[in-house]
Parts: sequence; structure tokens; C-alpha cells
Amino acid sequence: MIVAKRKPMAEIAEMVAPYKTVKVIGCRSCVAICLAGGEKEVKMLVSALRLKAKKEGRKQEFEGLVVERQCEKEWVEEVEGKILDSDLVLSMACSLGAQTIGDMYPKKIVFPALNTGIFGVPEEQGVWSEKCVGCGNCIIHTTGGICPIARCAKSMLNGPCGGSSNGKCEVNLEVDCAWYAIHERLKLQNRLDLIEQVSPPKDWSTSHSGGRRVYVRDDAKLTQHQKKGKEAVR
Amino acid sequence: MKARIQVLACKACTEMPQLLDMDDLMNVASERELVVSSMLVDRVCDPKIIKRVVAEASERDVDRVLVLACQKKDVNPGLLAAYKRAGVNEFMVEYINLRDEVILPHISDKERAQAKAETKAVAGLERLLMLQPLEKAEEVMRTKNVVILGGGVAGRKAAEVAAAEGAHTIIIEKSGSSHKTPGVIMPNSTLLGAKGYGGNFVLSIKAGEKVEELECAAVVVATGGGWAELKGPLAKAFKSAVPLYRLHEQMQTGAVPKGPVVIVDSPDPAGKTLAVQDFAWDDTLELAIDLKKQQPLEEVYVVFQEMRAFGLSELAYKDAAELGVRFIRYDRAAGPKIDPKEPTKLTVKDLAQAEVLTIPIGTLAFAAIPANKDNIGIATALRIPMSPEGGVRRGSIQRWPVSTPRPGVFVCGSAMFPKSKDMAEAEGEAAGLMAGKFVMKGVIEYGGVVAEVAQEKCSACLTCVRTCPYDAPYIGSAGKVEIRIQACQGCGMCAGICPSKAIELRGSTDDQIAQETRTMLGGDF
Repeated sequence: MIVAKRKPMAEIAEMVAPYKTVKVIGCRSCVAICLAGGEKEVKMLVSALRLKAKKEGRKQEFEGLVVERQCEKEWVEEVEGKILDSDLVLSMACSLGAQTIGDMYPKKIVFPALNTGIFGVPEEQGVWSEKCVGCGNCIIHTTGGICPIARCAKSMLNGPCGGSSNGKCEVNLEVDCAWYAIHERLKLQNRLDLIEQVSPPKDWSTSHSGGRRVYVRDDAKLTQHQKKGKEAVR
Repeated sequence: MKARIQVLACKACTEMPQLLDMDDLMNVASERELVVSSMLVDRVCDPKIIKRVVAEASERDVDRVLVLACQKKDVNPGLLAAYKRAGVNEFMVEYINLRDEVILPHISDKERAQAKAETKAVAGLERLLMLQPLEKAEEVMRTKNVVILGGGVAGRKAAEVAAAEGAHTIIIEKSGSSHKTPGVIMPNSTLLGAKGYGGNFVLSIKAGEKVEELECAAVVVATGGGWAELKGPLAKAFKSAVPLYRLHEQMQTGAVPKGPVVIVDSPDPAGKTLAVQDFAWDDTLELAIDLKKQQPLEEVYVVFQEMRAFGLSELAYKDAAELGVRFIRYDRAAGPKIDPKEPTKLTVKDLAQAEVLTIPIGTLAFAAIPANKDNIGIATALRIPMSPEGGVRRGSIQRWPVSTPRPGVFVCGSAMFPKSKDMAEAEGEAAGLMAGKFVMKGVIEYGGVVAEVAQEKCSACLTCVRTCPYDAPYIGSAGKVEIRIQACQGCGMCAGICPSKAIELRGSTDDQIAQETRTMLGGDF
């Protein structure tokens, strides 16, 4: 899932200070689950901002709202009235949610309350770790199911490097060496021959470069005709 | 129906330090029009007083009660039972802990204490108005098994007494025990984990090489615990100090300690690494009396942050004082110190005289016990809390001395902290009786203050499932969280952490807490 973290309170407070009617909008999906921007965090932030405004003598109105998935227009439309009624939307979703609102209502100012971080896995309650960077060309079938792009500090395709020591990475001794883990996993699976095969340079054209990537499923797309029909009954 | 409130206040602790004006507090509380009865009594735990109080509640048709006393678990459960019989729903009785939340933290600030007590009482009344009656349900226990962890002195006694009550006892012993006890003994076995809840537990037991599942209704923790030694810098500073229990053992074998004897509560006055638990008070009094009887002319100093003597121990305190034991209560900020260059002198600031005293040391003993990690595994398996000393924590020294906070799990002997054989045996008897009575009831009550899920808000994120210490939440067939009500202990952790605000604790909802807070802040926010 997408894992995010709330920005520091001081930064958020400074952002919102000039605006009178502020709608704080959270999301019930990834950011709720990673305890960054669900209903609970929305309520807490609204209370904190209200207290701060009161303490500093500013007349501001804060309202907390939560939508099912802020990255989807249909869910955002559920709170359209509230958005149009605001001076500022403070999004507690990931940047996708914030940008969805911004694209839907271009005249409205949308600020992020979270820093969107990683594609993470909850390792345990309260701990999320990055395991994929979305390079668009998955190779983990050759690396024992462990992604060296995300988990090796140098994103090496042929490892380990000389800095691997006792299973740890030279860049940060607290980080496990991805290639050591790959070696151990392949050994367990009797596939160690794979580690001796040299991987050629990867096709990075699928990764983040040359502007935003768009994924299209032609079979799922509606035809112009279907779209018009749906819009007509809206 | 309009709320009809009884305000009941206890003088036992609240008036003792002459801090609170209880009459004034009662006036503030009973000003509210919905208060139809207000009673300030000597001791809410006294059965005679309970009878009187509840009779008045009945007469005035009271439907909810505000108790201004100490914490709920320290109040005689007979009070709640009596209200229940009189038709007051048990979840409509709200306790305000004046002792721990007002008196102890503000002992030197009369004005602040009074103001806080009034605010808490008024906020408590607001909360009381928002409470809803809750009901409990019953489930039949599947077995009469009582599993006793440990076949030592306490465990064997517990088995004997529980069996006499009619329970089937099974002792889980890590070594191969040969002592005779009623019921089954499983030698060479240990507890790995526990599913279920008090009344219907399923334990997984490692017996030899095999892992077995064992159903039981109650568990008695009687695992014992070894002594630990002082280590590191503390050991250096208090090089000559002996633990209290060891001095006691030495005296029992006829040794005469060199006077004057100084007993300090903890060699670490900051209390970070060692804590003094309830046991230390009684044991210290006993030792001090023995010392004085053995050598009447030698001084015995008891240097404690505080000395509490419950129940009959008060007589021991009186005896010790009469024999000439010197009690010195010190200031936490200037606790006992020993200059390594002069190891025969201890300096401490006496709270009563506000003066630094220098005390000569012949023998130095300390009452705190360093952490002993033996019981961590058991506590983890049973999901019961540990005390700062590293033993299993009891419910409350006054009311629940052999219970744990988890229903159906009892504890006795040195599993809590090191104890004498007599004490371990007495506690084994008590725990066996508690467990036996618990099991022979045959049914468990559940419900009341439990978690409740608004499924339409649940995102099945598993946060509550991972957080709950009792495995009460699970993902049901609809793909949303459901609560096993029997397992729910009403702790509120799931409600607190749920990112979707899908869980609320019945009887302690956001609205109630918000209203209470608003009242405390003067209704302004």
C-alpha cells in the first residue's frame, strides 16, 4: 500500500493560517490503514488546528471529512458541496488524493497535510518498510522474490557489492543487505545458479522518466458512446 | 425518564490528609437538580454503610450513581452488587478516583486539590447523564479444569484447595515433580500460549516433545521466581547492602547482624530500575521488629519514601514504633546517598524535619527486588501484565491480592515477587479457592463495556486484530471486523487505535468523553 506520514504540525499550521474556511479531507484507504490520514487522524488534526487558531486569536473554521478513496472522482464528488464551500482544502490523503481534488476543482486551493512516502508493507503493527519502487519492469522471479531495486541501497542488478558485511549494508549498518538476503533465499530454494548469471542493464524506459506514466486497459475503457450515455443520466 | 442521581462520597482517604473540604465538595455536586440523594459516609466499603446507602438509593428511585472515593477496583465489590440488587444498572455507577487523581498528586496544594476535585465531580456528573444501561450475557463453561502452572509450595496448595471446591486440577510442572497432590500432574511441561478467555481457555502445552491442547476454565500462575542480584553501578554504590530477604534468612539461621541496621526501600532513589512493591512494607516491618527483639539496644532505621501498612499490618507498625524503630520518610529529590569514601554513613533528607540526616551504618539492607525475568514468558502467553519488579502483577493488594487483571487467571506465591514459604502457601490457598469458586460457578458473564464495530466504516485494515491483547477482534465472513464479545475485556485499545473510527467502546464513547472534557474546560470548547 501507499504509506504516508503527516507533515509536522508547525508546517501545517503555517500553511493553513491565512485561510478562513478550511476543509480537512481524509481517505479511508491506504493512508487510513497506515495511520496517517483516516478519520481518526482527521479528527485529531482538526482539533489541533482549532485549538491553535483559538490560542492565536485567528477566526478560522475547520471541518473534518473522510471519503472512501480520495483518488477516485466518484468518492470525492460525495463531498463536492463542502469543497466548493471552502477557502482551502487540506488533504490528508496521499498526493494522489490531493491532486484528484485539485484536478476536479481547479479553482480550489488544495494543500497536502501528508508527505507521501513509499510503497510499503506493514512488517508489524506500526512499522512499514519499502519493498517496491514501481519501476514498471519486475524482475523478482530472478532474485528469489526480493527486489534489489527497492531494497539495495545502490539498486544493483548484480550483487552483492563489496560493502556487504555480515548480512548488513555498508551504506547503513542497520539496513539488511538485499543481495545477501537474495543469496540466502536462492540457497534455500536450490537456485543459487541464478546468482552467478549476469543480468544485463535493465530496461528503465518503464520507470519514472519522461513525464508521468499512464497505464491503459483498453478492454476496460468505456467507448465514447457509453460515456455520453452515462453522463446524460447523471 | 429523567435521570435521578445519587452522589456518594467516602471520607476514608479523602478527609484523612485534611486536604479536601468534603462538605463543600458535596454541596457543589448536589447543587444539580438531578441529584436526588447525596451522602458523605465514613467508608463506602463498610457493609453496614453499603446497606444504608443503597436503601436510600432505592427509596429515592435513583437510577445512576457517582462515587467519589478511590479507584473502582479498590472499592468493595459488594457496593456494586448491592446497587444491582436494588435495580441500579451496574454500568450506570461512575467512580471518581479522588485518592490517586486528586489527593496524592496535589498533597501540598489545598486550593488546587479542592478545585480539581470539584471539576472532576461536575464532569463526572455530566458523563453520568450520558451513560446508557448495558446488559451482560452468560456462557456455559465447557470444563471444570483448573490448570496450575508450577508444582511448588504455592501451586500444590492451590491444587489441593481448588480440588476440594470440586474443580479438576492439572498441574503443569517444568521439572519432573514427585510430590503428591490431587488431580493430574504433567511433568516436564511448559505453557506455550493461551487462546480463549476466562471460563473457556484453550492452552497449548508443551509436554516433553509433544505440544498438546488443553481446555480449562481457570489458570493459577504459581511459577515461583528466583532471587536476582544487584548489578552494575548500583551494586558498586551499595556494595555492602544485602537484600531484605537475605538478611531475614540469615537471622533465621541464628546470625546477629551488626548494628545499627539501616533498611532502605531502594538503592536507586530515582526508582528507575528498581521499584518497591507492596510486599516490602510488611516484610520490612516484620524484619525491623525481629531486629529490635534480637538486639533491643541497637538502632534500626527504616528509610522509605513512604511506608504503608494495610489492615492488620497497622498493628505491626505500631509494635515497631513502640519498640523504637526509627522511620524516616525521605524526599524523592534527595534520596539516600552513600559517599564511597565513607561507606559507613548514609545521608538522607528527612521529609518531616526538612533536614539532611547522617545515619551510621552497621548493616545495610534494601527492600526492592531487582527484575527477575523468569515470568515474562508466562505473562506473555497469558497476556497478563508484569510488575516493575519483573513478576506477575496482582489486581490490587486490598481487594484482588491473588487475581490478575484478566478474569479467570489467578496468581500466587513468588510468581509475583520473592516470598517466604508461609506466605506462598497462604496465597496458594487463596488462589486455589478463587479459581475453584470461579470454575464451580459454571458460567461466565460477558458483555457490558465491550467494543462495538460500525461495520460500514471498517476498512478491514487489521490494526485492531494486531493490537488487541485478547484476540477479541477478527475478520468475519463479511470481510469486516467482528468482536468476540466473550473475549473482550473492555480495555478500549482497539477503539483508540482504529484509523477509521469504526470501533467504539460501549459505555465510554467519544461523545461521553468529549462532554466530560468540555465540562472540565468550563464548557468553552
